[in-house]
Amino acid sequence: MKTKFTQILNQRYYLLFFFSLLLQQTYAQQIAIKGRVSSAGGEAIPFANVLIKNTSTGAVTDFDGSYSITAKGTDILVFSSQGYKSKEVPVNNQTSINVSLTPDVLSLNEVVVVGYGSQSKKDLTGAISVVKADEIQKRQVTTVAEGLQGLVTGVKVRGGGRPGQEANIEIRGLKNLQGTNPLYVIDGLITTANRDFNPNDIESIQVLKDASAAAIYGSRAANGVIIITTKKGKKGPLQVEVSAKTSFTVMPKYDLMGTEEFAKYNNMAYDNAGLPRQNLNMSVNTDWQNEVFSTGMIKDYNASFSGGGDNSTFFISGNYFGNEGTVVGTDFDRISFRVNSSGSKGIFSIGENIALSNAKTDEMSGNPIIDVYRLTPTIPVYDAANPGGYGYGKQGVADTFGTNPLAIAEFANTTNENFRIRGNVWSELKFTSWLKYRFNFGYETSFDSYNFIRKIGNWSLNQPVEKSFINQNKGRSETMLYENTLTFKKQFGKHNITALVGQTFQKDNYNQISGTKRNLLVNPSTGQYFDVLDLGDSPEVAGFREEAALTSYLGRLEYNYADRYLFNAVFRRDGSSKFSDGNKWGNFPSVSLGWRVSNEPFFKADFIKDLKLRASYGELGSGAIRNYEYQGFINTNGAIILGNGQIMYPSATQVRLANSQLRWEKLKQTNIGMDLGILNNDLRFTADYFIARTEDVLYGFPILMTTGSDGGNPISNAATVENKGFELELAYSKKINDFSFNASLNFTKLNNKLVALGNGQNTHFQGNTITRDGGAVGMWYVLKTDGLFQTQEEIQNYKNSQGQVIMPNAQPGDIRFKDVNDDGQITNEDKDIVASPWPEFEMGLNAGASYKSFDFSMNWIGSHGATVYNGFRSVVDRFDDNSNYRTGIQPWTPENPNTDFPRITKGSTLNSRGDTDRFLESGDFIRLKYIGFGFNVPENVLKKAGISRARLSLSAQNILTITKYKGLDPEFSNGNIFERGVDVGAFPNLKTYSFGVEFGF
Amino acid sequence: MKKIIIITIGLISILFASSCDDELAQTNPNALTTEQFWKTESDAQAGVNAIYAMFYKDGLWARWIYFRLDLTSDEGYSVSPWTELADWTRFNYVNYNFWEGQVVTWRDTYKAIFRCNQVLANVPNIAFQNEDDKKKILAQAKFLRALHYYYAAVLWEDIPIVLTPSTPSDLPAQKNVTEVWAQVEKDLNEAFADLPPSWGADQTGRPDKGAAKAFLAKVYMQQRKWAEAKTALEYLITGPGARYSLVSNYRDNFTDVSENNSESVFEIQFGDNRLGGTDESQSAAVSSNRAQFFAPRSIGWSDGQARLWLVNAFKQEPNKAGTLDIRLRWTLYYPELLADFGDKTYGKNWEWGNEAWFRKGSRDYYRNNEDYYSQVNYRLIRYADILLRYAEVLNETGNTADAYQYVDMVRARVNLNTLAVAHPEIGNDHDKFLERLKMERALELAGESVRWEDLKRWGDLNSQASVDKIALRDPDFNNFVVGKHHRLPIPQVEDENNPNLNQHPEY
Repeated sequence: MKTKFTQILNQRYYLLFFFSLLLQQTYAQQIAIKGRVSSAGGEAIPFANVLIKNTSTGAVTDFDGSYSITAKGTDILVFSSQGYKSKEVPVNNQTSINVSLTPDVLSLNEVVVVGYGSQSKKDLTGAISVVKADEIQKRQVTTVAEGLQGLVTGVKVRGGGRPGQEANIEIRGLKNLQGTNPLYVIDGLITTANRDFNPNDIESIQVLKDASAAAIYGSRAANGVIIITTKKGKKGPLQVEVSAKTSFTVMPKYDLMGTEEFAKYNNMAYDNAGLPRQNLNMSVNTDWQNEVFSTGMIKDYNASFSGGGDNSTFFISGNYFGNEGTVVGTDFDRISFRVNSSGSKGIFSIGENIALSNAKTDEMSGNPIIDVYRLTPTIPVYDAANPGGYGYGKQGVADTFGTNPLAIAEFANTTNENFRIRGNVWSELKFTSWLKYRFNFGYETSFDSYNFIRKIGNWSLNQPVEKSFINQNKGRSETMLYENTLTFKKQFGKHNITALVGQTFQKDNYNQISGTKRNLLVNPSTGQYFDVLDLGDSPEVAGFREEAALTSYLGRLEYNYADRYLFNAVFRRDGSSKFSDGNKWGNFPSVSLGWRVSNEPFFKADFIKDLKLRASYGELGSGAIRNYEYQGFINTNGAIILGNGQIMYPSATQVRLANSQLRWEKLKQTNIGMDLGILNNDLRFTADYFIARTEDVLYGFPILMTTGSDGGNPISNAATVENKGFELELAYSKKINDFSFNASLNFTKLNNKLVALGNGQNTHFQGNTITRDGGAVGMWYVLKTDGLFQTQEEIQNYKNSQGQVIMPNAQPGDIRFKDVNDDGQITNEDKDIVASPWPEFEMGLNAGASYKSFDFSMNWIGSHGATVYNGFRSVVDRFDDNSNYRTGIQPWTPENPNTDFPRITKGSTLNSRGDTDRFLESGDFIRLKYIGFGFNVPENVLKKAGISRARLSLSAQNILTITKYKGLDPEFSNGNIFERGVDVGAFPNLKTYSFGVEFGF
Repeated sequence: MKKIIIITIGLISILFASSCDDELAQTNPNALTTEQFWKTESDAQAGVNAIYAMFYKDGLWARWIYFRLDLTSDEGYSVSPWTELADWTRFNYVNYNFWEGQVVTWRDTYKAIFRCNQVLANVPNIAFQNEDDKKKILAQAKFLRALHYYYAAVLWEDIPIVLTPSTPSDLPAQKNVTEVWAQVEKDLNEAFADLPPSWGADQTGRPDKGAAKAFLAKVYMQQRKWAEAKTALEYLITGPGARYSLVSNYRDNFTDVSENNSESVFEIQFGDNRLGGTDESQSAAVSSNRAQFFAPRSIGWSDGQARLWLVNAFKQEPNKAGTLDIRLRWTLYYPELLADFGDKTYGKNWEWGNEAWFRKGSRDYYRNNEDYYSQVNYRLIRYADILLRYAEVLNETGNTADAYQYVDMVRARVNLNTLAVAHPEIGNDHDKFLERLKMERALELAGESVRWEDLKRWGDLNSQASVDKIALRDPDFNNFVVGKHHRLPIPQVEDENNPNLNQHPEY
């Protein structure tokens, strides 16, 4: 290995040597010029280009903005840097030229971090979106992902309001079946921006959406890449920023019946079934939602200190985030600290970013979102007759297996705590103005502790009495990342070349030990259980360890001719321990082209300030499977009993089958895009069209049960998935004196299609969905209803083509199902594809305005065309199983035949089956995701108080939703890829009202 | 500058040295691979033991199979508030992917068969000190494979036969039930040859030759191969395997205090040593959940209970002392239990109206509730069943007169008169004898998971007239469609994903 690599490096050495020869053009009559490039405020501008006009000779400033160059006394120097207007200065035989550059306000000159480097936004050839940090920070979010909702085209976010809940992100559709979250890169560390990460630390976010942009991350980039850069200090005196935000969160509620109305319909259901009525407890009228849900509260306090000198900077921040949940017994607390610093001397610079966080979650027990409607209003909250003293179902009185959420919150309590250190140390050697070596070491470790305690007490009907026990586990994860990159950047006249080569190595490991003890002691003076593993009996211990490694080689070539023709090529080769020997390595290339038409001499259209066309193609990988998946293992957990003394004997066998030939999943993506700026770039338009085809999708489709495999479906390279779509973004901004205004509209349309299923299968069923060649993933596959039977005569006349009565056992008021296959009966064969869970398009509208000290902004999101399954209604409208019901329903009765709600009956599933289109609804919605007002206290007021900046803000989230959906929240999330449209007990997004103050000193 | 580049390259090479490709060869530190296993005698032993562990899974003998064998029959029923669960005990099969007692039972059956096949494929390659030990292991695997195919054939009839270790892409072909029976016979005959006549006291629970013959008799009888069945049963009654006797106390067959007794022919061993679930985790339980699911309301889940006609049937004939048949006491919880025998129900006075519950296997003799961890063994075949089967076979082969003595042995244990005295009207009439024998089997074996196969064997599910008669005792049979409900639908997901497997045409 070592020799192989030395060879490669030697080859590179010759290449570099060749380039260096080309550059030996410095001969006579030249003078040495030194100087410093700074911004108008005096801050050094590192990496600024200094070019002798009309030549290819140039230099680049170092970390403190200094440069040196030799030129003729008559030359003109051109100073340029990303984000600044370039400036020409004649040498005039000066030996010292200091230049200050003025910022270029056009966003086109933004610097975009693209992975192992950065590019100017105007030079981009791939599909990359940049999100301003304050767009995220103005919202009250737990994770970064939540904050991105509606801000970026092609990025779909689904979250929920449970304390500590992490939102799911899907970039450009469902490209594989393993898990849709993108790769997060925080300050160069490949990680996850989970709930441990403080969003207030973010300086900028870039979303790499197409293959050419993400290819530098190769095998892990198939779901897109989100690059987060955290804040850095700036030169100057100490800056102190303090902010505090307090929010109240409110749970949306179901419209459920009280006892009186409930009793009427419950009795009707029993009467219709010919069953004796329940002996309902009419004296009780419990509103379970009131008992279980309450107003939640979020506190988000943040303080940061930053500053720097000529050669060093620092940034320190601390954050407390506390979220008292809207559901009984839920809570989330996070404390985090961050220190980012950097320094330089000569050609050497070094820096680090490190964050410490401790997050503690009191997890939700059971699912109260479901149980509040499974419990009937006739059940009292407390019932001394039950073990533990809580009320729940009782046979013949309140027949339901619903769980009392207060009881389970007390008797089965889970807490999770994670202490995490995440950071990196980097150093750079800048040998010349055009050659830079960078070493980056990333390290992340997390200490996880899980604690579950089961106290004695019951929460549902007929539950067996269980002994108390405690289960704890302690886990530790560790990731180490080594990266070496060499960057070459030089301009030769109109040719701009940036080349990057690198090598990275990452190692991950995780280990865990766990223990269980039963029959816990109760402390007689407090009544509390001793929740330590020392006490109790029947000990059980367990533990495991996992390791994985990834080795990569990468390269990128960027070429820009005269700011008109842009070319970008990336290659990455990854080797992973997750695959068998012959399949470990994968190659991931990409190329992209850009043409800045507006810079062509022939392009004469004054109103078009900027026009760029882009095209790219690339291949990305995904190996998001667990370790050791390609091997079959022996399970030695089992035991058997033999003999009269109940003697235990060990057992061992293969439980789960494995596919030995697993290989990398590959995403092949083509992107065509256009950027247009008109009206002096006030109006900007970006459009992208893409085709993303994922082959060899890694997924564990269910295999036949006749194989006898259990414990998870074996992963295989099982499918080919295709996503096509386009994204449009239109943005307008204008500033007129004290008034400024901006608005942007984004639009995403996506078509998902399963091209082929492997494993000899062509169809996959899950729940009420079907995934079949040529169709989208998870289409609704159910029986079709066709109204209600009104009379016995209608039932007798409902015949197939052979004259067979299709539903002879039906009664008036029952649902009429369509006999799709015309066989004279209603069976599973009559199911059909009826709708799609995929939206036809999704939109976001962001608008803001400011006038003097006041500002205002809002985000709207909308989704159209998805059909979703209302799990709530599938429970409360079925009546064969007891639950509470929706207020105001109008079930069919002979007296009330003009309704679409069938006859209600207890004791038969025939009328209430869940696998019909009865519970499918339109998932369309438009939501005011965020609305906020801010007031910046005028400077003249502040000066006296010694405060440089003060701001008050008032905002609200999710307060307005326009939808016909009858569940709690149309913006729900379901982690099951095939049943993404099923809303069963998903935690809703909460109405959130926030008040914030910020000060700067 | 060249120097710098060279130094850099040197520096980088050193750093790279840490990242050799062999880091990519990670082995699982947590488990043996299948290649590492199946090398030693103890591997073989643990491998065959793993098949027994399938008795503790919820699809099979820990829980759901009783819903098919006991509750679907006319002995039991369900009024579970979980309507779909109850519907599946009364022939309302709507969703063929219903998990409990349908798909999971199918799944666990084939899990067990996969384990048998692993042993049968791998153990022959292992060197043993004593070749006999190897043969015994293979014979156990064959016996257990036969057992699981037997019950699968009783429930679904035409099913795929898998005889070698599986691979993920297998699509095994469906076979006619007669081929399944043939495979079961073959495995049992081969197992009989190599199984020991009996096991040591620390190994009871493994099948012996008698257990193999008893299962052979069951298979033959389901096919109405009376002559073969007779030979098989004679091994246990009069042949070399005749070492069984009825225990004097009927109840000793249903508690944990007299397990593996002289009456036991094949007994599933349960324990309460591990308090986990029915999964494959480290704490996976070794217990039965049956009592937890069948115990009366407020004591257990009460998802299954007994039909009241059984109470009346017991009360038809007093014993020789003129008191009630003691088997009623130990078979059922019923409204007059306290009045008739002085027993409370789990320490409670009767509070369940006019209903009855199964008492066999319940632990009311030392506790007032049930849980998921019953240690009471399940006597899958006991000698009383063998004796009644022998009587049935003799009756079917024209030896009705000879059959009496075997019924009488069973009756004598509970102090009943001989059959000839109690029912003189039968005489040597084949049909009358069979009718009485059906009742004798119900009284002796109610709630012991034999009723469903009995009804099928007797042909009572084949005509509308006989089904109508059953429906008088069990109204669930009003839903029974002749030619359809004698077997379960194939799990839909298996039908859909296996082109070589078709749903039964009647479904």
